[in-house]
Amino acid sequence: MASILREMGETAVTLAKGFSVTLRTLFRPTVTENYPDEPVRFEARYRGIHVLHRDESGLEKCVACFLCAAACPVQCIYIEADENTAERRISASERYAKVYNIDYSRCIFCGYCVEACPTDAITHGHGFELATYNIADMVYRKEQLLAQALKPPRT
Amino acid sequence: MGDEQKTVPLSVDGRSIEAPPGTLLIEACKSVGIEVPSFCYYPGLSLQAACRMCLVEIEKTPKLQTACTVIVQPGMVVRTSTPQVHAARKAMLEFLLTNHPLDCPVCDKGGECELQDMVFRYGAAESRFAEEKEHQPEQRFSSVVYFDYPRCILCFRCVRVCDEAMDVKALGVGQRGVRSTIIPNRPDGTLECEECGMCIDICPVGALTSHQYRYKTRPWEMKYVGTPCAHCGDGCKTTLNIRNNQILRGNNRDKTGINGEFLCIKGRYGGDFVHHPERLRQPLVRRHGRLEPATWEEGLDLVAHRLKEITVSAGPDRIGFLGSNRTTNEENYLLQRFARTVIGTNNIDHHRTADYAALVAALGGDTTAFAASGDLARTAAILLIGSDPTHNHPLLAYNIRAAGRLHDARLYVINAREIKLRRQADRFVQVPAGQEAAAVEALLGAAPDLPPDARQELDKVRAALEKESDVIVLFGAEMWGRGVKRLVEFGQKLAGKTRYIALGDYANSRGAADMGVLPDLLPGYGPLTDATLRKKWEQLWNSSLPATPGLNARQMFEPGRLRGLYVVGANPVKTFKLAHTRDGLGAPELLVVQELFLTETAQLADVVLPAASAYEKDGTLTNTCGELQRLRRPLEPVGARSDFEILRLLSYALGKPIPWRTPEAAFEEIRQQVPGYQVSLASLLVGEATRTAPGDGRHADKAAETSPGLIFSSDDSLFTSGTLGRFSEMLNSVPERKLPRSQL
Ligand code: SF4
Ligand code: SF4
Ligand code: SF4
Ligand code: SF4
Ligand code: SF4
Ligand code: FES
Repeated sequence: MASILREMGETAVTLAKGFSVTLRTLFRPTVTENYPDEPVRFEARYRGIHVLHRDESGLEKCVACFLCAAACPVQCIYIEADENTAERRISASERYAKVYNIDYSRCIFCGYCVEACPTDAITHGHGFELATYNIADMVYRKEQLLAQALKPPRT
Repeated sequence: MGDEQKTVPLSVDGRSIEAPPGTLLIEACKSVGIEVPSFCYYPGLSLQAACRMCLVEIEKTPKLQTACTVIVQPGMVVRTSTPQVHAARKAMLEFLLTNHPLDCPVCDKGGECELQDMVFRYGAAESRFAEEKEHQPEQRFSSVVYFDYPRCILCFRCVRVCDEAMDVKALGVGQRGVRSTIIPNRPDGTLECEECGMCIDICPVGALTSHQYRYKTRPWEMKYVGTPCAHCGDGCKTTLNIRNNQILRGNNRDKTGINGEFLCIKGRYGGDFVHHPERLRQPLVRRHGRLEPATWEEGLDLVAHRLKEITVSAGPDRIGFLGSNRTTNEENYLLQRFARTVIGTNNIDHHRTADYAALVAALGGDTTAFAASGDLARTAAILLIGSDPTHNHPLLAYNIRAAGRLHDARLYVINAREIKLRRQADRFVQVPAGQEAAAVEALLGAAPDLPPDARQELDKVRAALEKESDVIVLFGAEMWGRGVKRLVEFGQKLAGKTRYIALGDYANSRGAADMGVLPDLLPGYGPLTDATLRKKWEQLWNSSLPATPGLNARQMFEPGRLRGLYVVGANPVKTFKLAHTRDGLGAPELLVVQELFLTETAQLADVVLPAASAYEKDGTLTNTCGELQRLRRPLEPVGARSDFEILRLLSYALGKPIPWRTPEAAFEEIRQQVPGYQVSLASLLVGEATRTAPGDGRHADKAAETSPGLIFSSDDSLFTSGTLGRFSEMLNSVPERKLPRSQL
């Protein structure tokens, strides 16, 4: 008999302990994001979908040096380089990336590519909505990664 | 030389080492695994001592010395790794970087740059120079070579390789001091040269770059496959650099293969024919007078049906086969077996560009008398009759130059044209065109009617050759049949050992002859008329062989001779200069062509079957010296099939299947049955060039006399390569293509 009473007492204490956490948290500010109804808040250094940047004159910063692809531990960056011509200038240097793909089905968002880039052409953006029904859609092309030109490229 | 060559004892970094006398210190160090960094030093080229990277400490010498110019001395005490040496290297690198743009991210050399590696290993990370860098825009020297002045470290390797090894002398040094720069040979700042790309390959930095590779990819992104070159008969090993099933360039930086690091423009940049938009990707069948795309089944069935029809109605001898100079040994072997057993005719030949058969017969079974390309470096003298190796045989020309330059070999040239190699010749005899054989008669002491001055010169050549201990004789298509026999007679009279190289045009000219793609000879040059020999092959192939020799290439095109002509990898309309109509080919009612492109001959065909190139298939090639090499199939064919596969399928369609599933199976039989091809599989598989020596000597007396007009060279230049060359953008892009040859 005594043991039943003791058990009930212990249960009450445990419940009170547990609910005290709930109660306390009830009056604290919430941290949960109300996604997708409200915009998501990021830390500045959040590593999301990459952005390929342009310089102040609108030219692409990437010179297709392949260092990001070399640094990438999962080899998900694919580049084809080509030469700028006087008529068609894409990047400020002699070479530019004709093709630049990142396969997000493999990217682990480690940031090595960003670190490797000698021209600061690639950084992590804050995009994260990668879910798709078709895995082929997870390969992002340069056109999808490229930052919008602030002004039209110099021709 | 004594029993044992004396060596020089010295000490390097506390280790006692020995080196042969006359060795350069840098080489002595390398031989025991001690690396002395260098830029300007390059084995085989003259010493320059320009870069000062190789400074080492030598005891009792007050200042640091350049290891690339010091010759080992007995008792020398050398230190390569003292603080002083390290400081010197660091300073040299800092100095080299004063004007270096360090635009590695853009530079094509990034990832395989000697300067990058050196700075990484020995260099200073920071520069103390704040001066403005000297900049000049990049220059396009030619459609092949680009030059970026700020990246040049003035090691002069390019200048020396072009001058000494290539004997082109197209690059020089302009200006003085900090403004020193490499300049090309034309006043307008462009190059006029062989476009071999040797300078690009040898440049330690990204100062010289190639058009083909420019800004395409990175060294670590590519796959490297070392395979024999698909173009001329010299059989260089070219390491194709491939990305996405696309050849981006060729080189041979590891110096393996018979060519070391040498490649001409064809081996280095001429692989692009594979990707030409006009490559045939599906069979074509003539319907209502027009060639239209068809499936493989349709194409093969039609060919089988028509071949059968002609064989039944008119007999197998109304069908003829023209083989190729660039298909593999296995394919040639299969083709002649196909013609002889599946169809049952000896009407099989190819465009013969050198009379290998006559050489083998004349040698009468002496299998030690074939010289390999590398032997040129170790011979006392070279006799060259006919041909223009600079253009037709770039590797052999390179080896001939090296023989004289590095090994003091004498060169004697007999030619109708003023070929470029006369510049290296100790004696050059110009004879009237077509009189090369007469010149050999003169060497033998006969008195043919040659111009008196040529006769006098030839007497001197004979006198000189008689004194040589060892001679290699190279001869072109000008020498054939009896001429070759007489030449060998002359060679046998000489005091020393005489060896021979017959100079044939294309990648497997030698292999086509060795494999019996000939109307009168079986594989290994055994005559068809020999009943016991025929019996051997009949048993092997379980089929009877027709006993009478077939039609040769010229006879096949005579009107009305053939009802069916089957052409594999050849373009007789062009090579035999025939009229561009079916009548020009003797008006056969069936014309089948296996080709990479729609050539003049293919345009006339009833069925065209798209074939894979040498870079897209397995098999072996034999170069003009008889060195056997294995293809490594660097690429996969798109739409096309190998000639081996096509013929094999056809044998099934004709109801007489030839059971080899792969070229390897055919090669195994070649290795067992064809005289001279008993090579070691191991060395072949690891990619070595293995010597073959056909002819067992039993048939020397019976060897067929060559009929006139069958042996002739296409005389390709450095920038042409039969059908393949016409479809190479790189080869077509060089302006030198149009220059008269003597100008290069
Ligand atoms: S974040 Fe990491 S895994 Fe993703 S592309 Fe960059 S290097 Fe590769
Ligand atoms: S030459 Fe070498 S060090 Fe110079 S920019 Fe090119 S890769 Fe960099
Ligand atoms: S491409 Fe060859 S021939 Fe031309 S400059 Fe360079 S080394 Fe000389
Ligand atoms: S171009 Fe290259 S090989 Fe020629 S001197 Fe300059 S660095 Fe040396
Ligand atoms: S010399 Fe002949 S085999 Fe060598 S790279 Fe040139 S074409 Fe090819
Ligand atoms: S390697 Fe000796 S000075 Fe350049």
